[in-house]
Amino acid sequence: MRKALLALLYFLAAVVALAFLALPIVAIFVHVPPGRLIDQLSNPVVTDALIVSFKTTLIAQAFILLFGTPTAYLLASRRFPGRSLCVTLVELPLVLPPAVAGIGLLAAFGRFGLLGSSLSAAGITIPFTQTAVTIAVAFVASPLYIRQAIAAFETIDPNLVAASRTLGAGPARTFFRVILPLSRGGLAAGEALAFARGLGEFGATIMFAGSLQKVTQTLPLAIYAEFEVNFDVTLAISALLVLISAAVLISLKLTSLWQPSEQISSSRFARLSWS
Amino acid sequence: MELASQHRIARRRATVLAALCASLCSLLAATGAAARTGEHSSTRVTGITVYAAASLTDVFPKIDSGPKYSFGASSTLAAQITQGAPADVFASANTTIPAQLFAKQLVQRPVVFTRNRLVFVVPTSNPAGIHSVYDLKKAGVKLVIAAPAVPVGSYTLQVLKQMGLTSVLANVVSRESDVRSVLSKVALGEADAGFVYSTDARTVPGKVRVFKIPAWAQPKLTYALAVVSASGNKAAAQRFIREVLSKAGQKKMLAAGFLALPKAKSKR
Repeated sequence: MRKALLALLYFLAAVVALAFLALPIVAIFVHVPPGRLIDQLSNPVVTDALIVSFKTTLIAQAFILLFGTPTAYLLASRRFPGRSLCVTLVELPLVLPPAVAGIGLLAAFGRFGLLGSSLSAAGITIPFTQTAVTIAVAFVASPLYIRQAIAAFETIDPNLVAASRTLGAGPARTFFRVILPLSRGGLAAGEALAFARGLGEFGATIMFAGSLQKVTQTLPLAIYAEFEVNFDVTLAISALLVLISAAVLISLKLTSLWQPSEQISSSRFARLSWS
Repeated sequence: MELASQHRIARRRATVLAALCASLCSLLAATGAAARTGEHSSTRVTGITVYAAASLTDVFPKIDSGPKYSFGASSTLAAQITQGAPADVFASANTTIPAQLFAKQLVQRPVVFTRNRLVFVVPTSNPAGIHSVYDLKKAGVKLVIAAPAVPVGSYTLQVLKQMGLTSVLANVVSRESDVRSVLSKVALGEADAGFVYSTDARTVPGKVRVFKIPAWAQPKLTYALAVVSASGNKAAAQRFIREVLSKAGQKKMLAAGFLALPKAKSKR
């Protein structure tokens, strides 16, 4: 009897939670007829923002992969003093409010910023450019990839790496033929999450890069700018972003690269951060 | 051993609970006290939420610190009210947005309450070497203006059109969401110039240099406010509006740099 009651409570809690999460997403699609949503997608505000968003996010992803993968491997495979500090640093942008990220980027890369003042002396100004958008996206999205990549590298059986080395493969060959293939599921998951987060970046961008159609106005910024002009356009962009995010998650599940039980176990991250 | 530790946990729980109760009580007492002072003071209108243009951020709380305020671009606030936001009073930096809401019966008849002037500001360091509005045409000037839907953004476009300077729009690097965002980008020195209200420029003394715009190019820049139709406390909302229109209220607006209404119009 008590068991049945408990099961019922679990069930009710789940219904409430799922309905709560689903309602806003469903509302985006049913607020106006789908035909009107699709019409809005050809609005130049939407197409321009789509191009800006994809361009900046893809460039940011390239840098994240290029610099994040070796960083994650180093942090996963070596133990050195200050390692946990490095891991915490990597995770910090994840929990920082986006507005803080925006202020930080201005203080660093702004015209009078720590690095920005010497850059602007050299004739390079970053704020209000697509470079600024890319930097903001890379700053907020890279922790998702690096964290996931560290976890992926840590799950590799060290004996396999040792075996590869004893069989004569060099460190580079071992990395590309053994370590990368073994961790590709985790890396792809991290990359997908970073991509989705980057595409949704808003707060740091609006503070650091401003908002100008065709230049720095990404999809989320276009939602904000159009909110007071044309509500249908904001719904259309929102629907588009929901579909893209869902597509990212579903494609990961379909290719069975997603290993939720192993890759996002909280205890692993807890161990990671403070080890 | 087991029992002792259980006992300890229970005791700790009791302490935590007691602390929670105490803080809750003090919180209730504090809110009660706040409500009481509100009743006694005749100059404070409490229990209402005022949605007001960003340029009113500093002056409205000086007129009355009682209401809850939400400041932002008038256009954003109007969109929020259209979506059912719980506002009691709407104060806009122009007359067209309240008129539109009035036409949709979302607000009651708007009344004009003050005027303002458009200026442009450059950082004190003046990195782009701007000495007149015509210098904004120089290549590479980083000009920041507000989005066209925002009142200050539409005033900016009017001025530039009036002065035959629409070519400077090519130098716009960002269209910000409200007047204060334009101001902060200039005050930080990230932008070379920006168009704001003269009252906003005064809020960051020493950080920006202010350039006037000739009177012949100044747009008619009138503010209007109205009671929101869905307000649950229209009497208090009316009281707040009367307070803004009162001699004391208008004096504070003038002190903040806003302009008096022309005599004939103030009675409308």
